[in-house]
Amino acid sequence: MNSVNDRSRDIGPFVPGPDDDMLICRCEEITKGEIRKAVHEGMWTMTEIRRYLRTGMGLCQGQTCSKLVKGIVARELGISPGELEPATSRVPMRPIEMRIFANEAKEVGDHE
Amino acid sequence: MKRFDLIIVGAGPSGLSAAIEAAKRGLDVVVFDENEKPGGQLFKQIHKFFGSKEHRAKVRGFVIGEQLLKEADEAGVKVVLNATVIGLYQDKEVVVKIGEEISHYKGDSIIIATGAAENMVTFPGWTLPGVIGAGAAQTMMNLHGVLPGKKVLMLGSGNVGLVVSFQLLQCGCEVVALVDAAPRVGGYGVHAAKVARTGVPFFLSHTIVKAEGDEAVSGVTIAEVDDKFQFIPGTEKHFDVDTICLAVGLSPMSQLLKMAGAKMEDNPRRGGQVPICDEYGRTSIEGVFVAGDVSGIEEASSAMIEGRMAGIVAAEYLGYIEKEELDSKLKELDCALDGLRQGMFAPSNRGKAIEKTEEGIDISTNLLKKGYIADDEIERFPGITHRKGIHPVIECTQNIPCNPCQDACPKKCISIGENITSLPIVLQDCDCINCGMCVASCSGQAIFLVDEDCGDGTATVTLPYEFLPIPAEGTKGIALGRDGNKVCEATVVSVKTAKAFDKTNLLTMRIPKEYAMSARFFKAEEA
Amino acid sequence: MSNTADVIVIGGGIIGNSCAYYLVKRGLSVIVLEGSDNIGNGGSSRNGGGVRQSGRDVRELPLVMYGIKNLWPHLSEELEVDCEYHQDGNLRLGKNDKHKEILTRLATNAQGCGLDVRMIDAAEVKAINPYLSDEVTCASWCPTDGHANPLTTTLGFYKTARMLGARFITGEKVTELRMVKGKVRKVICASGDVYEGENVIVAAGFDSRAILGTVGVDIPMTRSLLECLVTEAEPHMFDQMLGTAEADFYGHQTKHGSFVFGGSSGFEGCNKDNGTPISSSKTAPCICRGIMKYFPDLADAKIVRTWAGWSDKCADGVAVVGAIDEVPGLYTSCAMSGHGFGIGPAVGNQLAQLIATGTTDVDLSTLRYDRFKAKI
Repeated sequence: MNSVNDRSRDIGPFVPGPDDDMLICRCEEITKGEIRKAVHEGMWTMTEIRRYLRTGMGLCQGQTCSKLVKGIVARELGISPGELEPATSRVPMRPIEMRIFANEAKEVGDHE
Repeated sequence: MKRFDLIIVGAGPSGLSAAIEAAKRGLDVVVFDENEKPGGQLFKQIHKFFGSKEHRAKVRGFVIGEQLLKEADEAGVKVVLNATVIGLYQDKEVVVKIGEEISHYKGDSIIIATGAAENMVTFPGWTLPGVIGAGAAQTMMNLHGVLPGKKVLMLGSGNVGLVVSFQLLQCGCEVVALVDAAPRVGGYGVHAAKVARTGVPFFLSHTIVKAEGDEAVSGVTIAEVDDKFQFIPGTEKHFDVDTICLAVGLSPMSQLLKMAGAKMEDNPRRGGQVPICDEYGRTSIEGVFVAGDVSGIEEASSAMIEGRMAGIVAAEYLGYIEKEELDSKLKELDCALDGLRQGMFAPSNRGKAIEKTEEGIDISTNLLKKGYIADDEIERFPGITHRKGIHPVIECTQNIPCNPCQDACPKKCISIGENITSLPIVLQDCDCINCGMCVASCSGQAIFLVDEDCGDGTATVTLPYEFLPIPAEGTKGIALGRDGNKVCEATVVSVKTAKAFDKTNLLTMRIPKEYAMSARFFKAEEA
Repeated sequence: MSNTADVIVIGGGIIGNSCAYYLVKRGLSVIVLEGSDNIGNGGSSRNGGGVRQSGRDVRELPLVMYGIKNLWPHLSEELEVDCEYHQDGNLRLGKNDKHKEILTRLATNAQGCGLDVRMIDAAEVKAINPYLSDEVTCASWCPTDGHANPLTTTLGFYKTARMLGARFITGEKVTELRMVKGKVRKVICASGDVYEGENVIVAAGFDSRAILGTVGVDIPMTRSLLECLVTEAEPHMFDQMLGTAEADFYGHQTKHGSFVFGGSSGFEGCNKDNGTPISSSKTAPCICRGIMKYFPDLADAKIVRTWAGWSDKCADGVAVVGAIDEVPGLYTSCAMSGHGFGIGPAVGNQLAQLIATGTTDVDLSTLRYDRFKAKI
């Protein structure tokens, strides 16, 4: 369900915080300050934040940080985290070696 | 493509329960699990479970896991381990990585029972080695036999934080503090009390300021927070630790559902991102069901019931049973689930500050703030009675759905009654034979056998003791109070073990009689 | 806030955002309407990141060459976002005579447009990229091609255009255009909101067809699923953009270290979907096999993510860009046919110039909306 979201709404200025250099996304080494700043640059959805900064795009696929990022983005926008869209999930569930992903098991009845 | 009636992802309590119910009704069921061992979290749960008989109460989690596995095997369920489901695609197709290859399978129905993962909180230094999840600590200890650290600070006073703290103590770690930003202990009071009585200090309304250390954690500073969770200057406390355990909640691992296109919602009451589903686990995708933590964080006992529901729903979906059978079975399971969701910790009470028990007794505020019941609070609870000779003293003061103690006593001295959440009472005409069954049966380790006056100025207290080494008869040491402080000197009279006690040893200590109602733990060290 | 602007842009992808950026830079007021909840949610953030000229139809070449010469080199600086643009050449690989024939034809055509692209032999291929398998016997080589990060580039245009005053509204799905007094004027949305502009640019991917249809314009196109995957970060290996004669896969190593590859399974155009561009179970394994044939060293690299996106494929495989003369005030850039990213900045730049001045630096006549004629 899409909802109309005017990206010119005033969310106030970016105010630097004392913990802006704290790492939030460990896999991609993204700090709290970078996330907060991105919101002020117009990245208002989890998907945009992710695509802009790479949060949650590392090996753990956001298992550790997505809730944390969501909280930071929501606070910056002055909304509740529940108003932000659920994080994206993509195949594969766990990182998988190319040679294994490529190696599809033969099925009964398969012909060469 | 190879097709199954039912593919279940996750061989934890809900997945296995679902598999058993479905297979019993004739479905061809396969369960994939990425782990080396089946059972999910159950195999880390070395404590006894709460509930009633139908919830497998007083049985230890890992034993429940073994029971489920056996049942699944007997029902003809195929459990495939080291099998990572990497994707759930259209047309109910799963792709599974097994060994060095991937395989495609189709399910006429699918149950996702992938459970949950641990939450993290951030503070300066949270990425230092040594900051770990409580669940990770549990995996290290109970699955791999590895000590997570020597000196540990636990953040989080929910049941996970409390249970894991106790397990750390059992492993010989020193738990320097149990800390929670909330003003009240989140988990069961009995779990808190058994940790507090060993001497672990509780710091509620406190949280971590920072983790210290260069290469790894070497210390931690906590401080008190106000009602807006802001640090109060001057309240900082430092501890030297090598490990910080975080027990700050779980998030559903619902990624497979999201990638398959199921409708999702962000629901804080369910623990995060969950599929939108009905009470029996039907998602927005026809034939795809969910069970257990993946659809909302609860605990293993309810996950098992949800799993059974989903298994039966899948059976009806595929025409293996009629609607009538489904309805009557679900009704039965609804009752079982309702049984678990009662009492002070019921999901409907989450976030509420409860002042009185169902019986109208004031709650122990000390238990909520410090983890133990104060000596001047204990007498008001119905499990506390005084009489001549040995008798049970039941320090169970919160309404939780649990009743093994009333069946444990061969003399029927203990009663909970019809309402499973009622506080246990010791009946007036109690004829205690000092068998100890009640002490061993209490999953909360809250029952003691006390002889308040042995006639020679001493008293004896029998307490549940799940530590090693087991002190020998005659060992001298100190008795600790509910708050973990020394109350007096004590001598071990006996330590009883029996198969029926299921590894809960019954340690009886002799103490001066004036401490009969305050000494609740034994520490084998010179005073 | 006013719902009226000089230009209403429909579609918040790389095209819409670059249009908005170059329009506000020229002092025009702009409202961008994006139907989904996210800026850059279509092909703009789901492609392989190629910024290339080689391999393109000659009709598109002048526009993309203009962008590579004039816009891409300083885009990161201009947008103050790291677009990760690399101009280190494009290798289009071949393994046999049939491949060589395809590549030679493409190269010869492009040379006719003044593009520096030539056929090279196995030894030269190895010299440029030593990681390639020995099976590679030839390639076309275009040294001025490259690649960039589609995510940061698309969002970079958005960020900067927004900062300069362009108004962006997401979740605003356009259902209809309406003409007033012989000119396009009103843009009507599913929400009931109505926007008005002197000019309207339709840059909504495949959805452009339905939107343009409301004023009686039809661009012959279909929707086709493209699939990509990305590996974990690997040590730096090479900077070229890669493709193959048979389009088994295409992609590059990113600044981050991961390899982004797109590819096909042969079922493109008839894939099933569930209303969203969802990955199929067949394609990623197929792309992996394709990659490993060319880069045996990547066999142990771990795939962390796969995704899919729709491309809007034109009947003749070439984009439609420019003014729609029969509906004054209406412009489009659609049916990008999977080539929209690299050409995106140039499209925005030239459409903005066209709207502001009535002229373009690049002749867009080969990309006209009314070029489609029956075959006999």
